[in-house]
Amino acid sequence: MKTLKKLLTLATLPLAVMSCSTDDDPVANNVTLTFNNTFENTTIVLGDASSSTATVNTSAEGQTHHFSELKYVISNIRLIKADGSEFPYHVNDLDNGAIVVNQSKPETLNFVMSDIPSDEYTKIKFGLGVKTDLNTLDEARFPNFYASAGANDTEMHWEWGTGYRFTKIEGFYDTDNKTLSVHTGSTIEGEEGSYTQGVDAYRDITLDLTTAANVGKHATTITIKADFDKLLSGKINTITLGEGNATPSTHTANNMVLYVDNLGGDGAADITGMFSITSVD
Amino acid sequence: MIKQLIVLVLLFTALSCGTDDSEYTPINNPEIALDIPLNFPTPNAALFSNAPTKYGVVLGKKLFNDTRLSIDNSISCATCHMQNHAFTDQKKQAVGVEGRIGIRNTPPIQNLAFMNFYNWDGSKLQLEKQTIVPIITHEEMDSSMLDVISKLEQDPDYLELFKNTFGDDVITSERIFESIAQFEYTLISANSKYDRVVRDHTETFTESEARGYSIFQEKCASCHSTALFTDQSFRNVGFPVNQATNEAGRARVTGLQYDYMKFRVPSLRNIAYTGPYGSFGQFASLKAVLDYFDNGVIDSDNLDPIFKANNYRIPLTEQDKIDIIAFMHTLSDSSFINP
Repeated sequence: MKTLKKLLTLATLPLAVMSCSTDDDPVANNVTLTFNNTFENTTIVLGDASSSTATVNTSAEGQTHHFSELKYVISNIRLIKADGSEFPYHVNDLDNGAIVVNQSKPETLNFVMSDIPSDEYTKIKFGLGVKTDLNTLDEARFPNFYASAGANDTEMHWEWGTGYRFTKIEGFYDTDNKTLSVHTGSTIEGEEGSYTQGVDAYRDITLDLTTAANVGKHATTITIKADFDKLLSGKINTITLGEGNATPSTHTANNMVLYVDNLGGDGAADITGMFSITSVD
Repeated sequence: MIKQLIVLVLLFTALSCGTDDSEYTPINNPEIALDIPLNFPTPNAALFSNAPTKYGVVLGKKLFNDTRLSIDNSISCATCHMQNHAFTDQKKQAVGVEGRIGIRNTPPIQNLAFMNFYNWDGSKLQLEKQTIVPIITHEEMDSSMLDVISKLEQDPDYLELFKNTFGDDVITSERIFESIAQFEYTLISANSKYDRVVRDHTETFTESEARGYSIFQEKCASCHSTALFTDQSFRNVGFPVNQATNEAGRARVTGLQYDYMKFRVPSLRNIAYTGPYGSFGQFASLKAVLDYFDNGVIDSDNLDPIFKANNYRIPLTEQDKIDIIAFMHTLSDSSFINP
């Protein structure tokens, strides 16, 4: 009888494990990423061509510009501990691990990550865009991300490339408000290690946290500044807008890479691009 | 107690995944032998991992003709790819749901098994990966794969066809792509007068056709080469440029300025059926294309070297044009458009 009881207990154990979580304070294991999209230190206000309230920026080459739309995809988020080990947050699951940051939708500026293991984290890594092996517009696999990226007011499907748009910026430049339109995304084809054609527009970002995040002790908010002044006046490229590069038709994927490197770095000398951490609370 | 244990074990069994409870009846779904013309180049390797099968082709053909692939059930693949026009639509630019106009001319669907690039800019390298593009593109069918699947699942005919093709009736995006590709692989056009003259030696060219063929070999065949009448390269031949904001030709795929506004050299098979011509239907007729080449093309940094070296034009007399057009008509395969 005792043995049977033991057996029963043993058998029940896996069931208990299968049932959900524990009753620690879950909020203490939340890490919220807050995206502050700026021109230098000023949070961007969007506006149409004739807007009097839109934030106007001036590039290194002296060109004024402002945006009417500002969207980008963040995915492949990893928190790095002091010892260098990484905690990957749903890195292969776009439904739970990726977002479209959309300046016109305040709710998209905060991304709450839950059930982060209690530990001290000193760095964060994430991708601007979607890494190639997941960038397939596979609706059956990631229906939620597919739907949010493809919504009429989001338009982050790049149908012809059968992947996602990584960045979509619409706006106006110069005093006569000419159209500015920068779309980025990958067109790469073939298998990893033997790509046959195309451009990889995914960029991996690494940022040092200003102070270590003590997850498990209290809820953490990491504020990430995305400084779109860098779009034209980047660490890598200084771009003057004109007929040849202000719209997708003529900037082509070739010039697209100049924008991609300014926003997301080149993955080598620059691994921060336009991003920086302003606070860890 | 023993009973309780059994209940527990049962519970575990229920938790564990899938089973093979359905009795399995093997379905006879043989591969279809493609009639590959002797003079054609080697097929795309993708053909061999998705070889057409008896039911796969039936399924693919049904899907190709099914308007449920579009968001509002208004158009099918066959709406733009009409067989009687060698699977084109006679429009300058393709027209999708709600009359939305796409940026490019509808490409013919023929001999795709032998192509190494798909779409005019060659963005896709396997047919199975190309199929999703028109289904989800806003200016084409504007649908989504889960929408399509949920519609097809309502139709018992489809459930049976998927079962016959793939062994079970689960409908997935990949199976839809594979079966449409299988159908398209079977669309081989190689029974034109040209084939009967040059390959089979069962007919002869008229005088005008023969003259046209000779001029063609001298002035056109460096690009329109092989039995497909395309070398499958990407070239800028100085045609009027599409001003659509999202058009950059091959450059939007490769990221190379060098590829700006280059397009895949079109096959000339069935060319008489597939007007208008050019990447966005710039030319109403074959004569208009030849007149343009004769008058001179637009120069640019990446204009094809052959045009740079030949004063930006292909000089042709009016008689040359008549003869070349006569020759191009020998590439028409009436058995292909009226099977």
